[in-house]
Amino acid sequence: MLWRVVLPLVLPVVLVAAWWAATADSTDFFWPPLSDILGTFPDTWFSGRFTADVLPSLVRLGAGYLLALVLGVGLGVAIGSSRPLRALLEPVLEFFRAIPAPVLVPILMLFAGIGNGMKVLVIISGCLWPVLLNTVEGVRGLDEVLRDTARCYRMRRGSRLVHLVLRGASPQIAAGARQALSIGIILMVISEMFAASNGVGFTIIQFQRSFSIPQMWSGIILLGLIGIALSAAFQAVESWALRWYTGLRRSQREGQR
Amino acid sequence: MTAAAPLGRRRSLPAWALGLAGLAALMAVVEIAPRAGLVNERFLPPFSRMISSLADQAGTSGFWGALLETLRGWALGLAIAMAAGVALGLVIGAVPLLRSATAGAIEFLRPIPSVALIPLAVLLYGTQMRATLLLVVYASFWQVLVQVLYGVRDVDPVARETARSYRFRPLTRVRTVLWPTALPYVMTGFRLGAAVALILEITGELVIGSPGLGRQIAVAQTSGAVAAMYALVIVVGVMGVAVNTAARATERRVLRWHPSVRGEVPA
Amino acid sequence: MTRLRAALAAASVLLLAACGSGQGSSDASDKGPTSVKVDVIPIIDVAPVYLGNQKGFFAEQQLKLQMVTAQGGAAIVPAVVSGQVDFGFSNYTSLIIARSKGLPLKVVAPGAASTGKQRKDFGGVVVKANSPIKTAKDLVGKRVAVNTLNNINDTTVRASIRAAGGDATNVKFTELAFPDMLAALDKGNVDAVQVVEPFLTTGQKNGGRLVASNYVDTAPDLTIAAYFTSQKTASAKPELVKRFTAAMQKSLQYAQAHPDEVRKVLGTYTKIDPSLTGSLILPAYPAQVNAASVQTLADLAVKDGLIKKAPDVQDLLP
Repeated sequence: MLWRVVLPLVLPVVLVAAWWAATADSTDFFWPPLSDILGTFPDTWFSGRFTADVLPSLVRLGAGYLLALVLGVGLGVAIGSSRPLRALLEPVLEFFRAIPAPVLVPILMLFAGIGNGMKVLVIISGCLWPVLLNTVEGVRGLDEVLRDTARCYRMRRGSRLVHLVLRGASPQIAAGARQALSIGIILMVISEMFAASNGVGFTIIQFQRSFSIPQMWSGIILLGLIGIALSAAFQAVESWALRWYTGLRRSQREGQR
Repeated sequence: MTAAAPLGRRRSLPAWALGLAGLAALMAVVEIAPRAGLVNERFLPPFSRMISSLADQAGTSGFWGALLETLRGWALGLAIAMAAGVALGLVIGAVPLLRSATAGAIEFLRPIPSVALIPLAVLLYGTQMRATLLLVVYASFWQVLVQVLYGVRDVDPVARETARSYRFRPLTRVRTVLWPTALPYVMTGFRLGAAVALILEITGELVIGSPGLGRQIAVAQTSGAVAAMYALVIVVGVMGVAVNTAARATERRVLRWHPSVRGEVPA
Repeated sequence: MTRLRAALAAASVLLLAACGSGQGSSDASDKGPTSVKVDVIPIIDVAPVYLGNQKGFFAEQQLKLQMVTAQGGAAIVPAVVSGQVDFGFSNYTSLIIARSKGLPLKVVAPGAASTGKQRKDFGGVVVKANSPIKTAKDLVGKRVAVNTLNNINDTTVRASIRAAGGDATNVKFTELAFPDMLAALDKGNVDAVQVVEPFLTTGQKNGGRLVASNYVDTAPDLTIAAYFTSQKTASAKPELVKRFTAAMQKSLQYAQAHPDEVRKVLGTYTKIDPSLTGSLILPAYPAQVNAASVQTLADLAVKDGLIKKAPDVQDLLP
């Protein structure tokens, strides 16, 4: 039991220790010792910056991500179920998806201004794609037998949507939502490179520009930690929502244990 | 309300025609909106002006050189990411011990946004192609790896046990059970990885300044050449569409036995 | 399936071969000219380097220039310090901040300077035609966009406000890239923008009004930017640095004397509209560093809280 808890931590601990050892006597300006970086953590992030920068960033990320989920699943179900609609929209969607965020943001600024709304829009514009495309895949790949069964039982549109389509596609949707989360964090940083006045990404960029390198690295580590925390939260939600799926697989596996 | 299967042939437009129609509608909007004053045409020029700038640029060797640089970086990064992602994903996914051991490290490294690596890439490789390559490989690798891990996890236990009871050799088991289940996920990973690789390649060129279309966009921006910038953005977007189309065609060919593809074939 | 696998394998082999052949070529032999990597931002400030290279001033000094472009000083300074490139280009405030943090940099030659003429400089603060802002003093309490926060542009704008008699601490600075500023001004997202060419001329042509020449207000003949190297290169290769400096000074003098050729060379490394290059205001290209203006920038950096203590300016300059 203890082994199961300890084993996942072994590799990260080894990597961190290696980093510490490799930079311990470093005099290179851009690779300060890990001890210095960790030393600046309290002053940099926990004396006021948390509420002033980290929280606004997370709030924007949360708003953008949730809106992208809703939009992505909604559009994905519609597009996945209708072949003509998919054929009509796919090239246009792929076109916009290929435009990188740093190029898209100035164009978005023309329409959405330079405030918080623009930043949330940037996050949505990036998070939408994995959710949308994975939902389309999930809807397309529904088990034929299930689909026909639902038809035989004359299930109404609404309950077919919830029980057949959404539930059936949810493993794929979950995969898409997972990717959207990492993209969301990236876009949270990128959106704060334009016309920003607060935020984690903004602060890291300012540190980089003013050559406050230990603080910059501490910001990068903080981003990693935020990512890990959000990822863990996501996994908790995913395992709850998909418990029917994991239960199904596990019961099939358990038969042979 | 059940929908009966359609009798006889349904006369709908072929997929490519609908796709073109969608693109045409977009072009019309971009042509009309600046001309109608909905948006200032100094900042969003009409589509025709973007195209004429593109035609001018297509006549220069600098444009084609940049295009080739971008393609080279993209292809190389994607190839490395696919090879590493599939190999590591299959190995880690199939061995439960490895999966638990690396789960922590993967969860730790994966959420680090690739933009956070930009200072690192610049420190290691300056502003040359390898700096952007680092970003591209890093970002697409995770896309592929995650998909492959999902795929391995999704193996039908019955099929797996059947293969074991028939005493298939491990390699045969991989070929007949593991690989077909994982393959749709691998193709999804390939498609997503290809798209992400292109985005990171352009982003790297834009932000770091390595040679390619992204750098041309940055030069156009700092020169205030708005139509030229949009022309290049169109090229990048078209590349994205081309990449997706090629990936889907590959996917269809490789997965012609899978329900999602078979369901599409008209009766 | 096997065919596909074979095709993929072949493709990856080809790609790896292409990658291998693209490896950086080794340095030229000692007999020929020395290869020198210069990292610049592709803006009008660095025209003298391109012009001088075209005219053969660098070849005269047995130097083969390899131009590398970056998007900002934040990328150039690490490249220079780590030895990836030999020389870089950056504005003085960035260099001062870097030096105050202990980065071992050394200026070798000036890059660009203000023309020193009010309303005829290559940078300035622009507002919309119908804006109530008439002088730098009216900027107090307003939103002003600069391309980098806590750097030379907001520092010099504050100096402008002080020179006009206003309270410089009460200005809302926002960071926006130069290409995005005019659109934001047009939409009313900001009240004023500090821009440089070619956006200065474009902005004024499309109805904008110039209210302040911030570089002129800060100091007479303010040097804006310079070419620099790392102290390691300066002490390990003093001959190379001397040759580069000589070639740079000749290029700068030539550029200052031949503005028409400068306008022509802009077309080779920027995408500035050819119809616009004729009406742009070019910066001054001094051949010698103006030490007093660098000291002014250092003092302003301390005053505006960018750094705690001014570095020894003499140590930074050649």
